[in-house]
Amino acid sequence: MRREGSPFTGLGPVFLKEFSDHLSSARMMVLMLFVLAFGALPVGLSLQELRNVTESDPFLFLRIFTSAPQRVPFSFTAALALVIPLLAIGLAFDSVNSEFNRRTLSRVLSQPIYRDALLLGKFLGGLATLAVALMALWLIVFGAGLLLLGLPPRGVEVARAAAFLLVAIAYGGVWLAAALLFSVIFRSTATSALCALGLWLFFAILWPLVVQVLVLSLVAPEVAAGFGRIDETLAMIQTQAGLERLSPNTLFTEAVIGLLNPETRTLGPVLPAQMRGAIMGAPLPFGQSLLLIWPQITGLVAGMIMVFAAAYVIFQRQEVRA
Amino acid sequence: MRRLLALLSVILLPALAQAADPPAVKGLWLLTDYPAQNVRAGEASTIRFKLQNAGLEPEQLKLSVDGVPRGWKAEILGGGQIVGAAMPGTGESVSLQLRVEVPKDQAPGAHNITLKAAGKARSTELALVLSVATDAPAKLSLKSRLPSLRGTPRSSFEYTLTVGNDSGKDLTVALSAQGPANFQNTFTEGFGSNEITSIPIEAGQTKDVKIKVQPPRDVKAGDYPVLVRVSAEGATAEQRVVLQITGQGRLQLTTKDGRLSGDAEVGKAATYTLVLNNDGTAAVEEIELAGTVPTGWKVEFSPKNLPSLAPNEKKEVQAVVTPADKAIAGDYVASFRATARGEASNADFRISVTTSTIWGIAGIGIIAVALLVLLGAVARFGRR
Repeated sequence: MRREGSPFTGLGPVFLKEFSDHLSSARMMVLMLFVLAFGALPVGLSLQELRNVTESDPFLFLRIFTSAPQRVPFSFTAALALVIPLLAIGLAFDSVNSEFNRRTLSRVLSQPIYRDALLLGKFLGGLATLAVALMALWLIVFGAGLLLLGLPPRGVEVARAAAFLLVAIAYGGVWLAAALLFSVIFRSTATSALCALGLWLFFAILWPLVVQVLVLSLVAPEVAAGFGRIDETLAMIQTQAGLERLSPNTLFTEAVIGLLNPETRTLGPVLPAQMRGAIMGAPLPFGQSLLLIWPQITGLVAGMIMVFAAAYVIFQRQEVRA
Repeated sequence: MRRLLALLSVILLPALAQAADPPAVKGLWLLTDYPAQNVRAGEASTIRFKLQNAGLEPEQLKLSVDGVPRGWKAEILGGGQIVGAAMPGTGESVSLQLRVEVPKDQAPGAHNITLKAAGKARSTELALVLSVATDAPAKLSLKSRLPSLRGTPRSSFEYTLTVGNDSGKDLTVALSAQGPANFQNTFTEGFGSNEITSIPIEAGQTKDVKIKVQPPRDVKAGDYPVLVRVSAEGATAEQRVVLQITGQGRLQLTTKDGRLSGDAEVGKAATYTLVLNNDGTAAVEEIELAGTVPTGWKVEFSPKNLPSLAPNEKKEVQAVVTPADKAIAGDYVASFRATARGEASNADFRISVTTSTIWGIAGIGIIAVALLVLLGAVARFGRR
């Protein structure tokens, strides 16, 4: 039974409807307030501190994003790493199963719209909403920086901050796809929300601890105690980093470090021999920073696509006429 | 009789000895070492004399000066105060001074002055001849211990000169030196560090003065004389000191446009063109090039050696730097060094290491594969 025409027929109306539904929904308002509250606190406080900084910093504008003020234990980017998944999950945890429960899915699909288009439209709608929200937040931060610091950002700072915005959207996309996947798998919206939030908590809190315990239990005891040979210790650290990078949170955090701290030369362990002759504190060119975190960006984008593909496959095999 | 003689001798011998002891001359004198002296017009001169009492009983003696020319002022001082009389004990003397003030406009000529000491029993006199002389002209001498020194343009030449004041009065001596253009001269006192332009020297004394000559850096090899002149009140003395300057090569390692930074890709050789320049005054021989680079990097030079570099000559040298395969992107310092006999120059080079973009392309490939999987899923699971 072959399909006729493009599988993406009707993608446009679905996308627009989802987008407008999201933007006008009360849930979106609540989520945005949540994100704003979380973001405004570190940004406001770090701006206050940055205003008192007298030494010249070529990347002063980027410090708004990365500096952790004294009175709040986390920076703006750390807050985003925590809050973006919530935003994404909040947008997508009931996108498919609520249609099931309201029995509107078969009605939608009776229109000349393929399931492909429906799922992709829902995903893209969520992603566009996420992008709009993050862009607004980003612009607010930039505007506040302009207003309170009173100096314009340099071109390279804008470029880095824009790349940061794209990475943040990709990070949100992963969680959006994950929430979509759960909403496809489970018929109950509560279950899918719980599963998505559980996964978020797992990656945000549990995964780094699990990786540490796992790696330390696998390697020889003297290496675990820190007395191993340099190559063994290096291998252990690399294994640990590799496992941690299975978490989108780690990927996002590392990408942010590479983008917003231009002095970052590497994200992995460094041998003293590699640093000999290096000029400390010299910023990398933007292109080199991008190359440094390219694997992280790749991981986020590819992960987003793969999770969506999984949701797609499961959705396609489901019976919707229930 | 013998006993009497012995007794007599006992009594008489001391008396005889006493009789032999007293000075041959007895009397009262006014004494001075130099009875004829020069005095200077407009100044006060002090003439020492003493009143000697030889073998006479003490007596009060009135002191006076006679024959003081008109306008002169003469007074007798004893123990720093004006005295009118003296009383030397038997066999003793009293030190006294005659202070004479000569008016400024006193014409040259000799004047006789008589000092008198008169008591009730005796009196004595001393005739002095005081000549008012014309001032001796100032006279200076200048000697150098080591008038010729040898060195490179970068060494400083220090000559010690002895300035003598051969005239009869204190002088303030002005110091000056005349050297070739752009030679810098500074005078300092013997062991002091203060720069001076003049120095006071007492009559008949000498003082050591140091002159330091700093030739300009780019001076050519050769002999350069410096004329040192001291002068005071019309008197001058000159001394010629010589700087024998030998040439010296000076290496400079730079790049053509002076930019000391460059890019390099991890694991790939990058070539930088360095310029060796000799801006000294003599040829630099046997230049060897070397470099210090971070661990695991390679650096090569072509040519590695240069036999010689003439003054004001430039030569290009290629430095080939290969960052280590595992180098981390970022800025590094590489130091290039040119060493010759007695000369060296180094240039710190900032090398920005970039990583290969192959992995970036690989990342895009991975995303493309993920999209292909999605498209495959669409094709496989697409339904009506």
